[in-house]
Amino acid sequence: MLDELAAIVGDDGVVSRATELKVYECDGWTVEKSAPEVLVMPRNTKQVSAVLKALHRRAIAFVARGAGTGLSGGALPIDAPVMVCTSRMNRILAIDLANRRIEVQSGVVNLHVTNAVRSRGFFYAPDPSSQVACTIGGNIAENSGGPHTLKYGVTTNHVLGLELVLPDGEVVELGGAAEERCGYDLVGAVVGAEGTTGIVTRATLRLLREPESRRTILAAFPDVDFATRAVSAIIASGVIPGAIEMMDRLIIRAVEEAFHVGLPADAGAVLIVEFDGYAAGLDERASAAVEIARRYGAADSRLARNEAERALLWKARKRAFGAVGRLAPNYATQDGVVPRTHLPQILREISAVSERYGLAIGNVFHAGDGNIHPIILYDERHPEQVQSAIEAGRDILRACLAMGGSLTGEHGIGAEKMGEMPLLFSPDDLLAMAELRRVFDPGERANPNKIIPRPGACVEVAAPHRQVPV
Amino acid sequence: MTSGEAAETRVEREELRQQIERLLGAGRAREPIAPEAAACELVVEPESTDEIAELVRKCETDRLTLAPLGFARTLSQIRTSRVALGVSLARMRRIIAYEPDDMTVVTEAGVTLGELNRLCFEHRQRLPVDPREPDRTTVGAMVGASHAGPTRLSEGTVRDLLIGVAFVGHGGRLARAGGRVVKNVAGYDLMKVMTGSFGTLGIVVEAAFKVRPIPENYTLAVRRFGRDSEAFEAAVAIHDALAMVHLEVLSPGPSAALGYDYDWVVMAGFAGNRAELDYQRAKTIEALGSGTDILEGASAEASFASLRDMDFPADGLVAQIAVKPAELARCARECSGEYRVHAGSGVAQVWFEEIGEGTAEQTVTRWREMARRAGGNLRVLRAPETTRAEIEFFDRPSAGAFGLMKRLKQTFDPANIFNPGCFVGGL
Repeated sequence: MLDELAAIVGDDGVVSRATELKVYECDGWTVEKSAPEVLVMPRNTKQVSAVLKALHRRAIAFVARGAGTGLSGGALPIDAPVMVCTSRMNRILAIDLANRRIEVQSGVVNLHVTNAVRSRGFFYAPDPSSQVACTIGGNIAENSGGPHTLKYGVTTNHVLGLELVLPDGEVVELGGAAEERCGYDLVGAVVGAEGTTGIVTRATLRLLREPESRRTILAAFPDVDFATRAVSAIIASGVIPGAIEMMDRLIIRAVEEAFHVGLPADAGAVLIVEFDGYAAGLDERASAAVEIARRYGAADSRLARNEAERALLWKARKRAFGAVGRLAPNYATQDGVVPRTHLPQILREISAVSERYGLAIGNVFHAGDGNIHPIILYDERHPEQVQSAIEAGRDILRACLAMGGSLTGEHGIGAEKMGEMPLLFSPDDLLAMAELRRVFDPGERANPNKIIPRPGACVEVAAPHRQVPV
Repeated sequence: MTSGEAAETRVEREELRQQIERLLGAGRAREPIAPEAAACELVVEPESTDEIAELVRKCETDRLTLAPLGFARTLSQIRTSRVALGVSLARMRRIIAYEPDDMTVVTEAGVTLGELNRLCFEHRQRLPVDPREPDRTTVGAMVGASHAGPTRLSEGTVRDLLIGVAFVGHGGRLARAGGRVVKNVAGYDLMKVMTGSFGTLGIVVEAAFKVRPIPENYTLAVRRFGRDSEAFEAAVAIHDALAMVHLEVLSPGPSAALGYDYDWVVMAGFAGNRAELDYQRAKTIEALGSGTDILEGASAEASFASLRDMDFPADGLVAQIAVKPAELARCARECSGEYRVHAGSGVAQVWFEEIGEGTAEQTVTRWREMARRAGGNLRVLRAPETTRAEIEFFDRPSAGAFGLMKRLKQTFDPANIFNPGCFVGGL
């Protein structure tokens, strides 16, 4: 088979030496590890199709991987011997500003999409924290979000058309450049399916006009309770901000030590609130939000004075995960969702979990969406801490569900949360989902053993390593 | 139909009615009224998900077809033959949860959009989907037919707002996906699959949506033009300059029906705080020209309602084209009928008031080929009864995509009982 694969993608497109494959044994979810037996790096759709046909003939399972920045083990091979990496398929194929569309290969890096059109006043809205590295294909698989999705929506709201290679190698065109589709919304079914429907090779994405201007506010609160009440009040005031992000005391400290952005070190919580739109009227919106923050106990609110200050605030926010690396040898990031009004409760619950397990937990998250990201700190040299970190994460997720929330807002189920799926969905719900998957992949060979739990799959649960900052 | 056949149908229908009442209880089945009568033999009004499950199992066993009915406006158009049972959710119209502070709402599928939005209005919120006649649009129909209107430009469509769904599928199985939170990637996105599936995969019984704040100070700019090219150029200029709530171009027929002269009309809505309004008003007038009327408050709302509720000719040929936005003006013109264009979205409704029996199919083919050349597709919304059999209402996707759609239909509806035969490619 190696020869056949090499004939398709070239000798330099196949990796089979165990030492070289070690890099691919996990993505951003580092708790579980399992290297593929073979890595294939196709350059175009034709090669992807030929590779999948070769695997189909031998009934071999595969997993697709973009940049490997996913946080739920979506690109972790579990009983999938072959990994197909899309990183060489990184061409922007067509920019069509008159129609506000861009067509890209799936290995294109998220930020490169915006970079290609920014000078002409456009941007691609989904902006996950890993956007300097993560690929559009990975974003499509995970239906990725980001801070600005509060106003602009997640990946699925911005994908119009897809070229998908089915697990048997057939290439299908789904959706297109128009906003209405013919027949069932299969694009909607593929986005967020975590690579279990085949391999996306090309995507037509929607571009948005860059807002004329922005106002970014940093508001410091005595504690997270006050801050979350301010979030609800700001949103209820009638306009959805571009983003509302929160950091708690622990994260503030870590970020400040790492980036010196001037966050108030004594604050219990800070909010970054950003309004975007016409320059006219933004000052009014910003002062209204500052006034609301003050009413809800913010002792200190300030406006980024220029683009450099704004960029620094966002850098602090997007690299908060990395900054946490300074506080403990290891950390595990969770991704849960609660109805926004339950944020104070879930944060109290997280703090109780932190005490229960004796592990520090920081919170940096998309407050406007109720999408929490508790960061559990631990030290892998103490095996009992590893176990506690995993259990603490599960306790937090269970608390989210008890409040009417969800297991994941943007990281995906992957391998990480499969076990929790039955807490959220009934056997019939899961059966319907499995049926949908089998429409695309009757043999269940595309990224097997993900999303829907199934007994019998095996993976090595390894001692976690320091996580890559994303 | 001969009188003999009619009598036979009546007997069969009566027998079916009795069976349904034995299954679900007295009063659960009734004779269809217009336009239901064009879509189904009998109307069933279940009161619960369990009853729908019973019904589905009976239909699978007895090989009876069924379809969710709503107000039967869509179903009566797209069906060329009647299903046995039209499932009305008129008894399933509870609003299960409305959380204004979370900005989410969960309802049974029989609730109308009008009811829902009256409730949300108390909190200055709305579900920003605006098909015509919200009081005759059920949540189930809105999801099933993916109804949309002018505000699709700023708020997206049902697929962007639906955060959770429950439906009764094959075997009477109740399946849920999504949830009640605004951001959620747990599990497969069955919300997208059910949206625009026209009742062919199961009966949607419950839906959860994000709601949005009602835009502040909605303002409507109206400008008449003597030539279509001027109207479209103005619409492009406005779309480039501003983020509108909605942006329509109407051909002379509908603009006259809305009380304007027999001219092309641009209707552009915007909203915001005072400073934003001043800015947008000035920019809008710059783009549209000095003859622009600016409507505010109740008169803006009323004009918007008539734009939204604008009816299409009852006996005409009406279609919706969706193409690349920059191609829309050309396509709308080439259709050589009347139109309502959602500029910026690339979607338009186009129609002929009257259509000769022989020419309906030809016209659809011509329109459809044009839409395809412009990177899009065409769906027929209405056609005269005599022409429906010869017309394909739904455009066909690529062969590969259609193959997947056939598999989806077979998997979700193995007995082929859910509104069969009228959707894309005869599914």
